[in-house]
Amino acid sequence: MTTLAQDLYLLLAAYGLALPVSYAGLPVVGQGAFVAVGAFGTALLAAHGAPLLVAVIAAVALATVAGYLVGFAATRLAGASLALATWGLAWLAYVVLVRFPAVSGGSQGIVRPVPARLVSPALGVVVSLDAWVHVLVAGALVVLAALAVRRAASGPWGLDWAALRTSPVLADSLGVPVQRRRRALLAASAALGALGGAGTGVLVGVVAPADYSPLLSLQLFVAVLVGGTATWWGPAIGVALLAALPSAADGIASAAGIDPLRTQGALTAGLLVAALVLRRPVAARFARLSARVSARRPARVSARRPARTRPSAGADVVAGVVPAPPSAAGILALHDVHVHYDSVRALDGVDLDLRAGEVHALVGPNGSGKSTALRVAAGVATPTQGAVTINDAPAPASGSAAARVRAGVARTLQRTAMLGALPAATQVAVGARATERTAGLGWRHLLGTPSADDVARRRRGVTARALGAVGLGDRGDVAAAQLDSAEQRLLQVARAVATGAHGLLLDEPAAGMSKAQRDRLGTVLRRLADAGHGVLLVEHDMALVGRVADRVTVLAEGRVLATGSPDDVRADPSVRRAYLGGTALPVHSRQERQPS
Amino acid sequence: MSGGVLLQAVVSGLAVGAVYALVGLGFTLVWSMTRVLALAHGDVVVAAALTAVLVVVGRTPVASSLGAGRSIAVVVLALGVGIALSVATYVVAVRPFLDRAHRSEDVLGWVAGGVTAGLVVRTALALALPAAAYAVPDPLHLDALSTNGTVGLPGGGTVPVRVFPVLAVALLVAVGTDLFISRSRFGRAMRAVADDVDAAALCGVSLERTVLSAFVIAGSLAAVAGLLDAPGRLVAVDSGVTLGLAGAAAAVLGRLGSPQGAVVGGLALGVAQQLVALSAHLGPGWAAALPPAVLVVVLAVRPGGLRSGRQAAVE
Repeated sequence: MTTLAQDLYLLLAAYGLALPVSYAGLPVVGQGAFVAVGAFGTALLAAHGAPLLVAVIAAVALATVAGYLVGFAATRLAGASLALATWGLAWLAYVVLVRFPAVSGGSQGIVRPVPARLVSPALGVVVSLDAWVHVLVAGALVVLAALAVRRAASGPWGLDWAALRTSPVLADSLGVPVQRRRRALLAASAALGALGGAGTGVLVGVVAPADYSPLLSLQLFVAVLVGGTATWWGPAIGVALLAALPSAADGIASAAGIDPLRTQGALTAGLLVAALVLRRPVAARFARLSARVSARRPARVSARRPARTRPSAGADVVAGVVPAPPSAAGILALHDVHVHYDSVRALDGVDLDLRAGEVHALVGPNGSGKSTALRVAAGVATPTQGAVTINDAPAPASGSAAARVRAGVARTLQRTAMLGALPAATQVAVGARATERTAGLGWRHLLGTPSADDVARRRRGVTARALGAVGLGDRGDVAAAQLDSAEQRLLQVARAVATGAHGLLLDEPAAGMSKAQRDRLGTVLRRLADAGHGVLLVEHDMALVGRVADRVTVLAEGRVLATGSPDDVRADPSVRRAYLGGTALPVHSRQERQPS
Repeated sequence: MSGGVLLQAVVSGLAVGAVYALVGLGFTLVWSMTRVLALAHGDVVVAAALTAVLVVVGRTPVASSLGAGRSIAVVVLALGVGIALSVATYVVAVRPFLDRAHRSEDVLGWVAGGVTAGLVVRTALALALPAAAYAVPDPLHLDALSTNGTVGLPGGGTVPVRVFPVLAVALLVAVGTDLFISRSRFGRAMRAVADDVDAAALCGVSLERTVLSAFVIAGSLAAVAGLLDAPGRLVAVDSGVTLGLAGAAAAVLGRLGSPQGAVVGGLALGVAQQLVALSAHLGPGWAAALPPAVLVVVLAVRPGGLRSGRQAAVE
């Protein structure tokens, strides 16, 4: 019975760890440290006279704060720093426990009487916490945790996590507050880990450093990995395997005459290897399978409605997505922007503005600074000098695209590789989250309040309209990886549209498209502009530019060479020189051959 | 802390730090070539030293004096084991999770691969060497430089005589590696790959060969670090991880990806650790906790330390 309760507490810690690892794809290899904080924190506080319940709560709170702080180590893009920080934390906790007997009670650990008793003098109640009570408590906590995790994953948080897991860059570009989500996940994970640790400590009555070595962190990590990605039953399978480890290890150890802890290490390594060997093929197979399944039936997350909406693509549909912008004038402006990398001047004093209702094309030879200008506008590159305004107000500080999305400017990424296996509608729904201003929406969803349902209904509407606006209304259930390349580009536009941002920054959306597909894209862009969007288009295809752009700005070597209507710019001699290298080549340029 | 103790802390700290610098140099090199953290690097360091001694001296190594032949054998074996393990870690545990064509990576995959490799190395070593810790004979005979193996410092402090050659050898190797990277043709290829994988490939740099050679260099540095460090103290199977974390802390302190930074970071960390160890208030417990603490705190306070050119260029 004691063993069962112990395994349930371990499972609680595993559910905690599943939040960052299997839902958000974060490499956390230090869960053991938080478990140790729960166990030793409770034991120490209780030894110093704190009531048991108070000690548990205080220890869990301490671990939560620690988890939140570790979340700061998760930089915007690099998961690597989080792996290093948590691995360092696992060993830091262990070194402290081993080297400071005052904290850990030495190798013997801190001993408490078992079974522990909960005493309430006020109520005159004494509860003896024997193994049965622990099984009940731990079981209830595990069920609660599993249900909460499952429920949260089906709501707005789940959308954010799915985007994070797919690609943090993508999540950021769609307005997901990446850093905040990561910190919250790590804090929640630490809290559940500490709760599991506190429970185990109280149950067994001994907390000794050897039980909280970094091996525990690795075991919990492997338990979550074995269970697969974003499944509520995954941790249970993993912990069931772990539960079999000690007895198997003891058996082998006594048979072979080896240290049981080392044998456990060997078995854990074996499990990790198995998880790794299985990881790639299984993940790939699963992606294919789920793509096939989702092609047949509606996907789970908020993808149902779009499937049934008619794939209409009129301007009225677009108008439904975007309310008229607050000012008819400037959606976005760059004022004298410089970007210098050491001696290279990527941008050298660029002025650029984007108005509502126009398609503004940004063209120029390779390396002229087009993408840099877009990155500055989107907030992912920081100008050395100069300013960016959105709706005539200073833009939020650069560093993350998410704040700019909420301010009204969203961009698409040049590459489509990071689209992953998420259904198209799910991805668009992530973008639609950027329009939601309901406070505490994730919590509301967790509790199932009507307001959360309203928001979800609205989100489905926005998703359907955004998909319809690009003509993908009937493709919402298809995994993005299964869409053809042109549809993937259109999906990127739909995601940006769904964010509700008036300014759309599109980085070579026509790359790799056929003539017919480019025409289709051109029509979509034109309609978006007519509906009140401002579209800033970085594009090499001059035919497309000539057809859809109201204004063209030509960049060369980080400076604006010319700006004006497509015809004016085309006639500009300096533009011809920049493109043709100064040689007099009066042959048909691409512009002249294009259909008007 | 008196002047003599201070000097003693600084001198011995520089020697400890020089070893950290070598470990950190390998760590930083691997990062800049692959954008992967060598989570098993410290285990490679200890495995190189212990395996060599295990093979040459036997299962119960004692701090006995080695003859010339066996000394050379230990050095050669350590280098071989270090290089082999470093390359094997890359091929088996890291490469399967890198997808360069799509520039996407499976972070969970290579993290799991790295910690698994470390765990496998530790477990294998522990099965071969069951005692808690070992005194390792010194193939370089650095203690023989003075009669009793120690040197008196001005101010009354004493340090083991080996700290001077350790510092000298480690710094020579570190500077040599840095020169190799910045001057040689091969080093240029490595820097090209570190800067931009695709552009380097377009210029005709053989990506796979360059990355592999970075792991070869990291493995050799690990072996040198192990040979310098292990004879000075008792070595446990698990001390590899703490050494690896100290190396990681050194690399992060000096901004990950910068070879000079790793060396400076290592020296600073070593001196700080010895100052803490010899201080009356703190002592060895705090000194042991310092490297992982520095690692966690630096990463949390200045996460930008991990951001490098390519990460920013990913979009």
